[in-house]
Amino acid sequence: MPEKVQIQYDALVLGGGIAGMQAALDLAEQGYTVALVERTETIGGNMIKLSKVFPTLDCASCITTPKMAAVAHHRNITLMTLCELRGVGGAAGDFEVKVRQQPRYVDTDRCIGCMKCEMGCPILAPSREQHGFAGRKAIYVPFASAIPQVPRLDAESCTLCGKCAGLCPTGAIDYFQKPRDLKIRTKALVLATGYKLLRDYPARAWGEAADQPNLVDALQMECLLAPAGPYKRLLRPSDGKEPESVAFIQCAGSRDTQLGVRHCSRVCCMYNIKQATLLKREHPGMRLAIYCMDVRCFGKGYEQFYRNALEMGVEFVRSKGVVTGRSDDDGVIVRHDDMEGSGGPRLDTFDMGVLSLAIVPAWTPDGLAPVRVAEDGFLASRQPKLSSTLTSSEGVFMAGVAAGPKDIVDTVVEAGAAASEAGIFLKGLQAGRQRAA
Amino acid sequence: MSERNQGPGIGVYVCHCGGNISDHVDVDKVAEAAARMPDVVTARLNPFMCSDPGQDLIMEDIKAGLIDRVVVASCSPSLHETTFRNALVRAGMNPYLYVHANIREQVSWVAEGEGATKKAVSLVASAVAKARLIRSLDPIRVEAKDHATVIGGGVAGLKAARDLAMHGLQVVLVEKTPFLGGWVARLDTLFPTGDDAVELLNTLYRQVSGLHNVEILTCAQLVAQEGYIGNFRLKVTRRPPQTDEERKKLAWVRASGQVGAGVVPFVGICPAEPPDDPEESEFTTGAVIMATGFSAYEPRRGEYGYKEHPEVVTLAELIRQMAGGTSRDGHLVINGKPVKTMAMIHCVGSRQIPGLHEPGEDGRLNQYCSRTCCNSLLHAALRIRREHPETVIFNLYRDIRTYGRGHEEAYIAASENQVRFIRFLPGTPPAVRREDNGYALSVTVRDALFHEDELEIPVDLVVLGTGMQPAPIKELTEVMKCQTGRDGFLQEVHPKIRPVEVASAGIFLAGTCQAPMDMTETVAAASAASAKAGSILSVGAVELEPFVSRVDTLKCSACCTCLRACPYGVPKIVDGAAYIEPASCYGCGACAAECPGKAITLEHSTDEQVLAGQNAIIRFQPPAVGDRHEETGR
Ligand SMILES: Cc1cc2nc3c(=O)[nH]c(=O)nc-3n(C[C@H](O)[C@H](O)[C@H](O)COP(=O)(O)OP(=O)(O)OC[C@H]3O[C@@H](n4cnc5c(N)ncnc54)[C@H](O)[C@@H]3O)c2cc1C
Ligand SMILES: Cc1cc2nc3c(=O)[nH]c(=O)nc-3n(C[C@H](O)[C@H](O)[C@H](O)COP(=O)(O)OP(=O)(O)OC[C@H]3O[C@@H](n4cnc5c(N)ncnc54)[C@H](O)[C@@H]3O)c2cc1C
Ligand code: SF4
Ligand code: SF4
Ligand code: SF4
Repeated sequence: MPEKVQIQYDALVLGGGIAGMQAALDLAEQGYTVALVERTETIGGNMIKLSKVFPTLDCASCITTPKMAAVAHHRNITLMTLCELRGVGGAAGDFEVKVRQQPRYVDTDRCIGCMKCEMGCPILAPSREQHGFAGRKAIYVPFASAIPQVPRLDAESCTLCGKCAGLCPTGAIDYFQKPRDLKIRTKALVLATGYKLLRDYPARAWGEAADQPNLVDALQMECLLAPAGPYKRLLRPSDGKEPESVAFIQCAGSRDTQLGVRHCSRVCCMYNIKQATLLKREHPGMRLAIYCMDVRCFGKGYEQFYRNALEMGVEFVRSKGVVTGRSDDDGVIVRHDDMEGSGGPRLDTFDMGVLSLAIVPAWTPDGLAPVRVAEDGFLASRQPKLSSTLTSSEGVFMAGVAAGPKDIVDTVVEAGAAASEAGIFLKGLQAGRQRAA
Repeated sequence: MSERNQGPGIGVYVCHCGGNISDHVDVDKVAEAAARMPDVVTARLNPFMCSDPGQDLIMEDIKAGLIDRVVVASCSPSLHETTFRNALVRAGMNPYLYVHANIREQVSWVAEGEGATKKAVSLVASAVAKARLIRSLDPIRVEAKDHATVIGGGVAGLKAARDLAMHGLQVVLVEKTPFLGGWVARLDTLFPTGDDAVELLNTLYRQVSGLHNVEILTCAQLVAQEGYIGNFRLKVTRRPPQTDEERKKLAWVRASGQVGAGVVPFVGICPAEPPDDPEESEFTTGAVIMATGFSAYEPRRGEYGYKEHPEVVTLAELIRQMAGGTSRDGHLVINGKPVKTMAMIHCVGSRQIPGLHEPGEDGRLNQYCSRTCCNSLLHAALRIRREHPETVIFNLYRDIRTYGRGHEEAYIAASENQVRFIRFLPGTPPAVRREDNGYALSVTVRDALFHEDELEIPVDLVVLGTGMQPAPIKELTEVMKCQTGRDGFLQEVHPKIRPVEVASAGIFLAGTCQAPMDMTETVAAASAASAKAGSILSVGAVELEPFVSRVDTLKCSACCTCLRACPYGVPKIVDGAAYIEPASCYGCGACAAECPGKAITLEHSTDEQVLAGQNAIIRFQPPAVGDRHEETGR
């Protein structure tokens, strides 16, 4: 579907994860026009990359894809992908947003999504979506349900061999596309830029011991466990062996005032339990140990989910886990304080280790947008108890993990709240204009 | 058996669902078999039928004039039936020329091997057989009133009323007691910001009371409801205060001249005088927001010494007592006595485990975590340590669940302020007993993080962090026909992606009536519900599914069987025959099944269609002897 660029919208939503999609939908349903601006080549954010979701164990694709399709087909929503925010001028009610659109090297209006280019491309590069566990072509659609269904040429791995341009039936491939600078006028802004993981924590905390192939982060584990994952089952990255034991190390960077961040990342306890549950269901004999301080299962149905894992035989070791090295057969060595048993340090070796790295903002305003961040690095709220989605600036709203770590359901609720507040703001503008007239 | 009228034919689309289906069902075989079924002209596969490329397959075939009926074999229809029907609409076809076959929940998740593929094939055969007999239907279009009703006047209800009114709707707020504010009115300062509860509540109330389109009814209860989204007919009764406690509070508020004023601490807002005599009113509303909140867990007599020793109190009681409290030599003073040492016990009445904990009077265990008690206990502990630095505090906990923004910071601050934390296991909870060694009580606990050593802590006060329970709203849920979950809280449509809607259209959930949550989360849910209700009602009309029962008045003998069969009380006798209001009908088919004269037809599940579907299952794949599905328990 072609991406149109209109100049004036009622609202611009920055970030196309579940928060941005839900906020866009809830605003569009109120009759407002919305531009949904996403940095990467597809909407869906982190949620579309998860395996199953706690506590329902719905497959993530199954509940994300329909939202993505609903966004794409809504007549009030215009999708803009590969777009990076460059600045916000103007004031509430009439912002001027500068956006730079990176070249896709494929003309979205012409492309019919036949994938001939992708099939014909001779180059293989590691797939970012699959965390490098699998390959993709130099011209590719990141995953089967990506939206828009238009491939993107990755200029770094492309050798300009010309194969794809020769195969494309519509002449959609344009090796000479340049970045485009767009100016968008919008009355309101919703920031839904989500999160990334604190990836430099392991090296900082554990030095060289952290650098080993069978120690993966939790998002990589989600990828390995996903129904459409690279190996279709869990295999060790180093040698393709089926692991017999997996250690989950929680709070890797969270709740660590010295080397990490102070805050709790809020979802890791639950996703570790989910990952362990999924593994236990397939491999009842697998040893699964979760190193944790507190187990935080506070949402609806979460405690019961935790009890189930306990009953299935998932071990919860009450101590911070420390990665101390790599065993001869590429296992991960974990040390903990045996506070429940005889006391003192204990070493254990696992075939694989999974790190619950801290969740930190994917984006900070840094002068690009007129909003403040709080001490925790996430966007600050003007009225945290009464209207938590109001940022420090009038006319600018926020939702999802951009406003602090949270799970999908809390994100969906918050996105609805942001859409309500933004809708009220827009309605106020209309009323003001009518009064003036 | 009647054949479908001429026309292009049926398209069958089989989904892999990543590997969710294709790992256990041979989807190629299913598609091959489908292609050979009567009237099927195309059978295609896609890794994710619900994705855009998947939906495009269907749309291409429709636009090419290849098909005029669609069958998708994928996951549960509750997930994606609407997704696919919308694809039909986008391709210019009537959305009801569609039949769904569930080969995931009903096949690949519960069976594997040969049997799974066979079962998938027979379900597809059944859907195809039905598809041959279906016809175009029109959605039911009804006018929608730009009016919404909020039930409950806590922060959820107040916030919902404010947002709905700001979206341009007329709003009625129905509160059971004489006071607005709910539980927040009974608090002092709030975690994690330290904001003053009274001040916040006053701000919120001013936002609502300043709006001309909000009507507040206190001492009011919803007693009857009929109708449907856009047009609910509600009956509300108002009665003078019913309980002694309410009467006492009201008398006090009157005496201090605070009726119509703002928040009266620990009572709430009394917006107006309640009626002297019972009143009844009826009105039509477009949507109903449930915001009835929670009730606090009441510890059993003797549970941690509660009601046996006056020095054992709940957190809510402590907050009340601290409000007028004083300090003596740096000690917190409660009931005139300085507190040298105190213990806070977490998870009282929450996270209960079958076999370990005793069920409540209604036979229910509160297995869930109440989400707010860790934070509110720590907030109180920190406040005490800061204001009364000589009072020593022990927190006896199972897990510290300071999950949200600013929560962990409070936990760190509490530790830095020497609040002592001892973890206990649910099987060995702390025990409280009377003592006369200079302290009122003694608490024994096994330290789960130190060899389970037994500690004995002499204390002057024990504070119980009691959890949240569903509010007692059984009658209301019956009137509104809302469902509750196993935990007793109101049940949303989907706990991940549709948390503020319920199964019946036009009814929404806000705040702690759905699950435990703090004030920030409560008002966010209220706003989210308001956005949903606002966007439906501001258009002036709503469209409903046409899967409803219709009466053939010529065949109806007015025997009234359907009136008794319908669980929702929809059929009526009008002009000597049964009448079923389409917008009110749930489409359950109970009436159609029981009607002795076969005068009732359920659209899209007519007898003919259902039988054709069943026969296809029996005919298409006669199970061989001994050929059973392998049940895997997955
Ligand atoms: C390992 C793991 C497992 C999880 N499992 C579960 C689970 O089972 N259940 C559950 O409920 N939750 C789970 N979560 C949490 C879940 O991922 C989040 O709640 C959810 O993804 C948050 O959505 P979001 O839209 O706020 O952020 P994101 O998903 O991060 O989306 C943000 C979007 O904004 C875009 N963006 C960022 N900056 C810019 C910019 N400057 N301009 C334009 N676009 C921008 C990003 O590209 C991205 O598309 C898990 C989290 C992790 C880490
Ligand atoms: C001890 C304690 C301390 C807390 N501390 C904090 C804190 O510091 N910070 C924080 O954020 N949160 C705190 N909370 C949580 C906070 O109280 C709740 O999040 C909030 O009260 C939820 O609001 P609500 O409107 O959903 O429910 P409620 O406050 O329970 O309000 C529900 C309202 O609905 C009315 N109602 C009930 N049934 C009916 C009916 N059938 N018809 C009409 N009306 C009806 C009730 O009378 C009531 O007015 C605390 C909770 C407790 C128990
Ligand atoms: S949700 Fe349904 S249609 Fe979508 S991928 Fe899963 S099974 Fe297929
Ligand atoms: S070959 Fe051309 S039309 Fe086909 S997917 Fe590639 S760019 Fe699009
Ligand atoms: S919030 Fe804390 S005290 Fe309350 S039930 Fe959950 S773990 Fe227990």
